[in-house]
Amino acid sequence: MSEVQAPTTSERGTDSTVLRRWMVRPEAPALVFLAVLVVAFSLSSNEFLSGSNLESIIVSVAVLGTIALAVNQVVLCGEIDISTGSMMGLCAVAAGAVATNTGGLILPLLAGVAVGALAGAVNGVLVTLGRIPSIIVTLGMLYALRGVILLVTGGTWITGIPDETRVLGTGSVVGIHYPVFVLLILFVVMEFVSRHSTWGRNVFAVGGNRRASRLAGLPIERVRFLAFVLVGVFVGIASVIYLGRAGSVQTNTGAGLELQVVAAVVIGGTSISGGRGSTLAALTGAVLIGVILNGLILLGVPSIWQDAVLGSLILLAVATDVLRRRLLGDKS
Amino acid sequence: MSISDDPGAERAATVAEAPSIFRLRNVTKHFGGVTAVEDVDFDLRPGEVHALVGENGAGKSTLMKIVHGLYTPDEGTLEVGGEAVEFSSPRDAEAAGIAMIPQELDLFPELSVTENLFVGRHRPRTRWGTLDRAAMRAEARERLRSLGVDLDVTINVKGLSAANQQIVAIARALVGEARAVVMDEPTASLTEREVQQLFRIISDLTSGGVGVAYISHRLEEIFTISDRITVLRDGHHITTAPASELDAEELVRLMVGRPLNELFTRSPHSAGEVALEVHGLSRAGEFEDVDLVVRRGEIVGLSGLVGAGRTEVAQCIFGIRSPESGEIRIDAEDVQIHSPQAAMKRGIFYVPEERRSQGLILPFSIKNNITLSILDRISRFGFVPRTERQTADRFAKELSIRGAKISDPVSRLSGGNQQKVVLAKSLAREPSILLLDEPTRGIDVGAKSEIYRLIDTLAKEGKAILLISSELEEVLSMSDRIVVMREGRITGEFGRSEANQEKVMTAATGSENRASPNGSGKEVPEDE
Repeated sequence: MSEVQAPTTSERGTDSTVLRRWMVRPEAPALVFLAVLVVAFSLSSNEFLSGSNLESIIVSVAVLGTIALAVNQVVLCGEIDISTGSMMGLCAVAAGAVATNTGGLILPLLAGVAVGALAGAVNGVLVTLGRIPSIIVTLGMLYALRGVILLVTGGTWITGIPDETRVLGTGSVVGIHYPVFVLLILFVVMEFVSRHSTWGRNVFAVGGNRRASRLAGLPIERVRFLAFVLVGVFVGIASVIYLGRAGSVQTNTGAGLELQVVAAVVIGGTSISGGRGSTLAALTGAVLIGVILNGLILLGVPSIWQDAVLGSLILLAVATDVLRRRLLGDKS
Repeated sequence: MSISDDPGAERAATVAEAPSIFRLRNVTKHFGGVTAVEDVDFDLRPGEVHALVGENGAGKSTLMKIVHGLYTPDEGTLEVGGEAVEFSSPRDAEAAGIAMIPQELDLFPELSVTENLFVGRHRPRTRWGTLDRAAMRAEARERLRSLGVDLDVTINVKGLSAANQQIVAIARALVGEARAVVMDEPTASLTEREVQQLFRIISDLTSGGVGVAYISHRLEEIFTISDRITVLRDGHHITTAPASELDAEELVRLMVGRPLNELFTRSPHSAGEVALEVHGLSRAGEFEDVDLVVRRGEIVGLSGLVGAGRTEVAQCIFGIRSPESGEIRIDAEDVQIHSPQAAMKRGIFYVPEERRSQGLILPFSIKNNITLSILDRISRFGFVPRTERQTADRFAKELSIRGAKISDPVSRLSGGNQQKVVLAKSLAREPSILLLDEPTRGIDVGAKSEIYRLIDTLAKEGKAILLISSELEEVLSMSDRIVVMREGRITGEFGRSEANQEKVMTAATGSENRASPNGSGKEVPEDE
């Protein structure tokens, strides 16, 4: 059922060639780029291709990737969410506060998810019922939630997170850390939901043509509202991974993450104007960012170059997508 | 430029002898497989008003867009001052002295009157190299005064009335020293008094030697101001004659008169119970006091000009707009419909007129478009079942959708087949009341005939059908009853046997009873 995501192709001929069929997939350029980078980095550094390094790359993008999987749905239905940085901070504060009081994993996780879902619901209500553009709503929430963090914590750190809470970030099975499993499980779930649920289909419809969706009787408000709530839930899960890896919560936890998330989604190949993209695109984008940051370190490139490289990458990704669509004769 | 201050017979003589400002010779233009205009001649002489009339889709706008450099003709030539020219953009046309005032004014609402007049043109500079705003304002004021209006040139255009916006557009056209001005439905959103003001400006222009090509649906106006009239029908040139040699009845006959062919399918049958009843429906600025009755098994044609308020009424019934007053009854039961979902629960489905922007999700496959409205019905626990494909297949076969696999993007289909997908989507929902808004606009004859057969079948099955159409032939051939709207009101209702083209056209244009357009609904751009 790949046709859900497949962009328009030219009139002539059929999609008989496997290459062509594959090329029209939204995440294709990002995957090609990822492959090129992996080859380049493994040729120039012996450590890169080692199992432990590859695993550490995935672990390093687990938080980013988890959130990107959900924000991907928001972008697909034609909206955007740039509040996730502060939201993650607040979820981590909630989870951390519960963890230091009760310990355990489930209660802190529930606290993080509940706070995230609530924040996501506020975003969703303001966008759908309030009819305010999502970029404005989530920009406001980005600042407001950071303000809440400062008010709640009084500017102090939360430390002394018990080990049983940290297991989601630090624990491992058969030599592979939990964050890798969490990310992969969420990816599989989202891939399935996106392809086979009515909500997943409706997300593409609303992003592809909101007016036609409305005239077809789709619940366009509910579809978008749920996407924002989903972001909150995933941010809540991600905050516990973060808690485990960092072991503490600072007042600036998550700052800047929101744009990295959007970057991952767009670099991966999901169209910023909605309607086109895939779950794999979000994951590919996140891994690509992880590979680049890791590769730069292994190559000894000073960390002050990171932002410049990432920025260029975003522009390159967009340019590639435009070029590809032109080559494929996509008119719409 | 021949300038004559005496507008009598002397002027008429000058006009007749003067060489044309521009002339289209044997012009043909295709869009994909559709021929918009074929072998059409049209010319404009200095100092005349040359009206261009025809039904929606007759090719009027296409022709004028060629003159304005937006389209290039596939065959035939455009001559300016006796020499063949090729315009590649409106800039070329303006350089040649041809200005266009489109139906949807291309003004910048957030800029001042002055700035609008100077957009894209040379602006006066002070000796410091900065813009000489005082000089610009003075010139703007002067330009408008020469058109007989005194406007505050510093306010934003969006704050002006429709009439004053029109005047600003005309003034802007004249900044470029235009010799010919093309006006596309300029009176569509003007009141009677504003129309008179526009006519005065037009007569000032023509007595200054400017030629005006004038597109309008309002026959009365055409006879008031035109010197010559050209009639287009289905992209063909029917006649060009002095206005004095035609009358309204003759003109209507020329516009619509053609033999009915085998395009239509309509089998005799009897109507059943009242399915949809609308009483006193009103929405300020859109429509007023609309009464409608559609029975089971009946096709009611809703005719009228573009912008008469037909689409708005249908969308109101479908819950996209809410009525300010009036009642809607479904199966003799009063209902409140606030959303398309609610309308669908009542068995109503609206098929929109704009296929690409309102009817289809273009990145989606044919299958996903067909099942869009029934996903919530066929899904199990929120997931799409595998039977979706068979459901889509069934409707694709039923409507004989051809040209691509069901899993291919819908954008790969021709316009006619895309329209069948839109219809399949609505039929999948099994509605009992269908509101069809221009269901055959812009599609080829073959697909049209298939869609007519389908509509006939649906009526036989007992569905109540409201058929909105600007094509007279379509309405006359398919409907059991025809309701005509003009400027938001119902102006006529005819049974199948008594209806004819002249009656419907007269009710739609108000060519016999005097038109009194007082702040009526906004016109929708004509889509040719």
